[in-house]
Amino acid sequence: MMDANERETYRAAIHGDREAFEMIIRTHSRTLFAIAYGILQNREEAEDAVQDALVKAWKSRWRVRNPEKFPAWLAMIARHRARDVFRKRRTVPLPNEATGSLTGETNRNTNTSDELLDRQLHSALATLPELHRSALMLRYFEEMDYQTIENTLGLTNGALRGILGRALATMRKQLKPALAAFERL
Amino acid sequence: MTVHDNIDNFLVADLHGELTAAERNELETHLLDCAACRQAHQETKIMNQLFEEKLEKPDVAFEQRMLGAFRNRVPEKNRTVTNFIVGLMRFRSAQIAGVAAVLLALVQVGRLITNSTEAERVIVTGSNIPTAEEARPQNLVAGGRKGAPAPLAGIWKDQANEGRESDELSALAKVPAQPALPDSGATSASGFGGSLEASATRQSPASTAPSFHEETVLPAKAKAQTEVAPPPAPVEANRKLIRNAKIELEITRFDDAVEKITAFANEERGYIATSGSQKQANGKLRGEVVVKVLPENLDRFLRKVRGLGELKNQTIGTEDVTKAYFDTDSRLKNARVMEQRLIDMLKAKTGKVSDLLQVEKELGRVREEIEKMQGELKYWDSQVQFATVTIALAEKDLEEPAAFLLKERAQLALYSPEVEKIYNDIKALASPKVQITNAQLDRDNSGRVSARVSMLIVPEEGDVVIGRVKSFGRVENFQVQTERVAQGGQGMAENAKTKRDKVELNISLSRDEQEQAFQQTSLRIRTWSVDEKTKELRNLTEKQNGRVRSSWFSRDPNGHELANVSLRVPMKNYSALMQSMDSLGKVENVSVQRQDRTGAQIDEANAPADLSIRVYSQGNIVSSDSGLIATLRRTIAQGVGAIMWSLRMIAVALAFFAPWVIALIGVIWISKRMMRARSKS
Repeated sequence: MMDANERETYRAAIHGDREAFEMIIRTHSRTLFAIAYGILQNREEAEDAVQDALVKAWKSRWRVRNPEKFPAWLAMIARHRARDVFRKRRTVPLPNEATGSLTGETNRNTNTSDELLDRQLHSALATLPELHRSALMLRYFEEMDYQTIENTLGLTNGALRGILGRALATMRKQLKPALAAFERL
Repeated sequence: MTVHDNIDNFLVADLHGELTAAERNELETHLLDCAACRQAHQETKIMNQLFEEKLEKPDVAFEQRMLGAFRNRVPEKNRTVTNFIVGLMRFRSAQIAGVAAVLLALVQVGRLITNSTEAERVIVTGSNIPTAEEARPQNLVAGGRKGAPAPLAGIWKDQANEGRESDELSALAKVPAQPALPDSGATSASGFGGSLEASATRQSPASTAPSFHEETVLPAKAKAQTEVAPPPAPVEANRKLIRNAKIELEITRFDDAVEKITAFANEERGYIATSGSQKQANGKLRGEVVVKVLPENLDRFLRKVRGLGELKNQTIGTEDVTKAYFDTDSRLKNARVMEQRLIDMLKAKTGKVSDLLQVEKELGRVREEIEKMQGELKYWDSQVQFATVTIALAEKDLEEPAAFLLKERAQLALYSPEVEKIYNDIKALASPKVQITNAQLDRDNSGRVSARVSMLIVPEEGDVVIGRVKSFGRVENFQVQTERVAQGGQGMAENAKTKRDKVELNISLSRDEQEQAFQQTSLRIRTWSVDEKTKELRNLTEKQNGRVRSSWFSRDPNGHELANVSLRVPMKNYSALMQSMDSLGKVENVSVQRQDRTGAQIDEANAPADLSIRVYSQGNIVSSDSGLIATLRRTIAQGVGAIMWSLRMIAVALAFFAPWVIALIGVIWISKRMMRARSKS
């Protein structure tokens, strides 16, 4: 369970204690970033989403009645915000410039296998379900233990293990050729 | 669940160090056995490594960036107030109160809006006036055609005099364009004189007005006219208009006014036709002056005369006799021709004598007619030549009284045991100086006697006679009323004399019993033997010169005994009786009511005081409906009553609060739904 100190911080933040809230930003923004990144697959956008989410959380903090649910609530706001951004990006067709630069870059950088691997990794990640991605991000960005991830995403231990296992399996099957190359490096 | 089936999960958890010791053992043994799983293990390891290396993790400054951005976007401003409000909003009660406040505010706003719309409506109705005014010129044109602007003047009284002038201008300008001319005789006039000059027509709407009494309008009217047609142009020779005016004025001095009117008349080339005055009782003059002035100067003359005093009434009239005049004129011409022919016939002297006689007779008739018509025409000429102005003059303070009469009226009520004797005594006062105008003695079937006497006393004897009458009995309610009656007018007059009139005295006589008590007392006496004490009370009363007027006794089944005694004593013995009352028993609930009759002379010592005394016993202390069961029954009944009452109160409170609670719940529910919908989207 949440320790008393943490609880007190959440409670203070809800009551408008700015310092407490900033403390929460320090401790939680990485988690939020992981969630947003899991959805958006883009650093800048994810960071913006996290910022938006934090501001929004500060403004509507009075809605939270139970301090223990504060982190989950934060995560939810970040997720919604990221989805919003994602949806907006989706609806706007990719500008020519973007695709052009993409192909251009591909042409330019094919020789470095590292870049290629990166690209492949991201496109494979994009095919994963959102929840899987989030779990992966939390694990690899934050190096969280399973317990914390379960709490943040609201999963049971078995479910989390299954998700992570399936996610990694899918990924390695998709990236099989690339993996061989990577191993060789 | 075997390790092989879930190899992916196991491998990942292993790499993440989340396997329990037992699970790890299981996995390791399985990996030794299964080549495929070993392969997967290898691949997963690489994958894990790839992730750890390749995923772009947030840099070290990430948190700082987040904080900075947050601080940028949410500046620390008026912390205390917002914090306080935000803190407040966390409480349900505060939220409810907030919603209630918003509801109230809405109601207020609604009321405000409705109020303001009402006000606007008023403004809108007010703004109808200009639209009506727009229609006015047409009305005026129509009115001008009929030659009767008076009703219009009444309707539009003081509204926008300037607007009126311009309207009138436009209206009057339209008049000449109309084929029908303003006056009834205009049709024939047009036949005679062809087209009339615009100036003449322009003048007509005002001058042809038969009568209008709007004093407030008149100055404006006159002003308008001066601007429209500066000096009234001379009426066209062919038109025969008789103009006359009537003015009522209030002036300070009659002679001065007449002098000035004469001067004005001379100025306007007119003359005073008649003048008469009459002296009123209070020495003020009232009179009438008839002035003849040239019609074209009439308006100027009237304006001058109006300045002499306060205008009370004014009537200006114009009579168009054009048609009648020229009819008569042409008939006169015909008659002249006829006369000439008859004369010719006489000169020829042909025919029989009887015929000649006939001609002679006819000639006489025609001549008579001619003279009559000539007279008529002359009269009209004189009337047309001069306008008649009748000025009624009245000096101010005409109503001031000439004298005053002081009337004294006295009223007296006498009480005595022997009404008849005093009645006769009063009647004996009659003398040349004391006139009894009315005397009557009434005795009704219950034996009550009362009398009324009215008399007139010469002023000098008034006080003496009234004093004598007062000595006959106990005086109650003596009133004198003095009235100063003005004669020959109303209001104040410094010099008027005052005369004393006869004193009128009205006396009403009645017996003691009918007199209303000066003081009324009610009290209760608690005692054990009601009967005995009542008797004692009677004795006490007689000792104090009082009388028992009524008494009443009752006893109820519970042993309550009750006696009501009402008695009357003179005021001087009242306190003694009250003191002796204590010997009878416990005196309770004493209430004294005293009627202070102001303005009346009262013989206080002998004035009657009424006492109403209730003597009672408590009866059996233990009542029949006592005992455990009766007490219980009473208690339960009272308890049920109280519960029913509180239930009713609760219901009332519920009925009062229910709509509000329902509205609140509705608002909260809707806002929650909206919030949820927003968060879902």
